[in-house]
Amino acid sequence: MGLLGVYFRRTVGILRTEVLVLPSRVAVLVFIVALMALPIFTQDYYFLRVLILTSIFAIFAASWDLLSGFTGQMNFGHALFFGVAAYVTALLNLKLGLPPYFSIPLGAVGGVLTGLIVGIPCLRLKGSYLALTTLAFPIILTGIVFAIPSITGGELGLAGLSRLTGSRVMDYYLTSGLMLILGFTMWKITDSKTGIILHAIREDELAVRTAGVNTTRYKLLAFCMSGFFAGVAGGLYAHFMRLAGPSGLEVGLSFQVIIWAVFGGMVTIYGPIAGVFILYPLMEILRIVLDQFPSLPEIRMFIFAALVLLTLLFMPEGLIPWVRDKIETECPRCKVRNVFSRQRCRICDAALD
Amino acid sequence: MAQPFLEISGLHKDFGGLTATNEVSFNMSRDEIVGLIGPNGAGKTTLVRLISGILRPDRGKIRFKGKNITGKKTWDIVNMGIACTFQNMRPFRRLPIIANVMVSCLSPRAMKRGEWVKKVEAKAMDALEFAGISDMALEKASTLSQGDLKRLEVARAVATEPELLLLDEPFGGLSPAETDLMAKSIARLHKGGRFGRLHSEGPAMIIIEHKLAQLMKIVDRIIVLDFGTIIADGTPEQIVANPEVIEAYLGEGGV
Repeated sequence: MGLLGVYFRRTVGILRTEVLVLPSRVAVLVFIVALMALPIFTQDYYFLRVLILTSIFAIFAASWDLLSGFTGQMNFGHALFFGVAAYVTALLNLKLGLPPYFSIPLGAVGGVLTGLIVGIPCLRLKGSYLALTTLAFPIILTGIVFAIPSITGGELGLAGLSRLTGSRVMDYYLTSGLMLILGFTMWKITDSKTGIILHAIREDELAVRTAGVNTTRYKLLAFCMSGFFAGVAGGLYAHFMRLAGPSGLEVGLSFQVIIWAVFGGMVTIYGPIAGVFILYPLMEILRIVLDQFPSLPEIRMFIFAALVLLTLLFMPEGLIPWVRDKIETECPRCKVRNVFSRQRCRICDAALD
Repeated sequence: MAQPFLEISGLHKDFGGLTATNEVSFNMSRDEIVGLIGPNGAGKTTLVRLISGILRPDRGKIRFKGKNITGKKTWDIVNMGIACTFQNMRPFRRLPIIANVMVSCLSPRAMKRGEWVKKVEAKAMDALEFAGISDMALEKASTLSQGDLKRLEVARAVATEPELLLLDEPFGGLSPAETDLMAKSIARLHKGGRFGRLHSEGPAMIIIEHKLAQLMKIVDRIIVLDFGTIIADGTPEQIVANPEVIEAYLGEGGV
């Protein structure tokens, strides 16, 4: 019992000194607890379905941020990783009968290989040229998918995959748990030494080369890591929807992920996740609300677009960094973040303005 | 066998119709500081960029410690021990200064060397301390002044622990007091020794500079370029007395 008490006190200590001092960390804690406790209060089939898809797309949006936000390799065809992994997962599940816990990781490996295949020709490209080239890849693959319907199922896609787990609640815990774990992993990657190099490549690639770092290797690494995380999302999606179709390769999905990430705040990892958790359920709520007024024309997309535009007009850095700057101030001396209400830094006691 | 430390032979580079360096050849030894001077557009920066592998020469060879490094990747050349700084500073503006230097400390060469305790942050801090900007380690690079940016460039190059350091206008945009400090730092670096966890072997240097008075004090030898061609090569005293150099700088009949 004594040992348990020590661990308990240490946990409480960390909570008090590290987590509860900053509103952003409290917000993350509340978010995680709420996400985990939600099925206790409601097990509504439709509600959980929306949240499962939100979690899947949150992984997807964060993986885009890892490649395009952090490394600066603007990818306008991110749906490629998603779609390829979905197809690989579906084929493995349908043709070889692999269960989801094998087919999804193997699908993610498919995403990694796709990252390599896309990354190598894109190494020499930058900026808008890179964006246009990456945009082309999913369109090419859509053509291939339609050309060989015997394997890919053509326009209809591959249907009838086995279920993710037995029940909807388990599906929910699997996807949201994976979202938290993978999100944390991505955030840790960007916070590591590799992350510093990825940051630096976005800022000035030539200067990274003259620092003696093999930029080709790190750029390919970014493509592969991003492909892996997007691939997990694609595999989960295929198993959850029990369908892998050409819709997973659509240009619309590639742009959707950019909208989510830019809305939430690029170069943060948590920004895109928050972006998806705000925008995706919002679309569903709008659908339900607007269904009450059948006389109205289809204005759902209009409201969505107006909201995103207005947000970016007033918060060019994205929603989450803007909120974070409002509720926290950085100490000018030791660069530690503090609650906005504090007069003096909590670490070095310097006066905050 | 007496192999030259750096051997450049017949290095030629054209940009379209413009000849940037025209069959440049020279050798330098391990313990030299070479000043590279010449009027604007003489091809000094191009020459340095050819050596550091940022540009590829059209013809000619560069041999470093007996190995041919012509056309190798920039990072391979840096990892063999040639570091360079940029004339127009290129910091990673959105990163803290310490992270700027940590990128250099994470190169394979820097990771291999030094003490058994290879704390990257500690090494980066030492490089900053050497350059004299360690007190601003956590500031964003975008907040630095011109002089501090120059120091950051030097810190980044030094952090790879080079044997040959190519400095492109280290005094550019600095005040006289800052220039003196920088000149002292360079002389100290050339002498070699330990700067905390950094081991400086006293790198050989090629310094491009326009402030000749300060340059003369620290260099052993000066090479003068004009229109991509070496027009003079000798000790500072010889260069000052050379009529061709005076003509290139001041024009015909200038003196």
